[in-house]
Amino acid sequence: MPAILVLDDSPTMVMSLSRVLKNAGYEVETAANGKEGMTKLAGGLKPSVILTDLNMPLMDGVAFIKEARKSPATRFTPIIVLTTESSGPKRDEARAAGASAWLTKPTQPDELLSTLKQLLPK
Amino acid sequence: MTSPTDASENLVHAVLAAQVAELRNRVDSGAMVELLWRTSDVLAELSGLVAELAGRCHHSNAELHSKCNAAVEAEIDLRQSLESLAFEQAQRNDFICQTVDCVVTALERLAAADVRESPRLSPNDLAALYVSEDQRKVHHAVVRRFSLAGSSGCDGVESLGWERRGK
Repeated sequence: MPAILVLDDSPTMVMSLSRVLKNAGYEVETAANGKEGMTKLAGGLKPSVILTDLNMPLMDGVAFIKEARKSPATRFTPIIVLTTESSGPKRDEARAAGASAWLTKPTQPDELLSTLKQLLPK
Repeated sequence: MTSPTDASENLVHAVLAAQVAELRNRVDSGAMVELLWRTSDVLAELSGLVAELAGRCHHSNAELHSKCNAAVEAEIDLRQSLESLAFEQAQRNDFICQTVDCVVTALERLAAADVRESPRLSPNDLAALYVSEDQRKVHHAVVRRFSLAGSSGCDGVESLGWERRGK
């Protein structure tokens, strides 16, 4: 069962994303910000896909992506950005940092799951 | 030293920040989202029981069996709708809370600023706090409106009240 690491500082979002992903058959690990996400990765967590918000305290999404890309373990792990942001410059920044896909809130469960499926290693 | 007028403005900004922060707590619908997910869980459990009942009365009570099956089907549709609603509402809630947080942060900065030391909060400082394109659109619309007012003899962007105070 593929594991997904979800990063979001909103407990309501974390709960809702976890529910949608678990209902679709994924294992879910969560973190409240980029720093906590990096700690989990450093602890040996090997997610198949990472789903991250952009605006988070301590370490935001872009900083997290940059850090994750430095590690051999997550250099090629697909990272989906799910955020309220829809601006071109922010997207470019996330893409340059190493994001694989971008979804703007509000998105539908189907759209999220279909993006995940496309990015999961075959 | 801060003048009585500046101190009074700082106080107004601090009060507004506290009021908007209070409003954020009231509009936060996290509890409602949690309730929707819990409702979905309970529905799933009840549906499981009804399905079991349908299996047990398959031969003894055809009418009850048929009604149970119909209820299970209806529950699947309802649960899907509930979960979509919960997911969407969670995202809308997140958007609203982040937008309100941005206003609170801006007001808190205005409340804390010593107007003689530095500009309080420039439009660019404010724009740096934004979390969505919607906020930027509103920002640009207001800046445009002020610019138009300025070109017709009013204060224009100056009316935002920070440039005059900067060194």
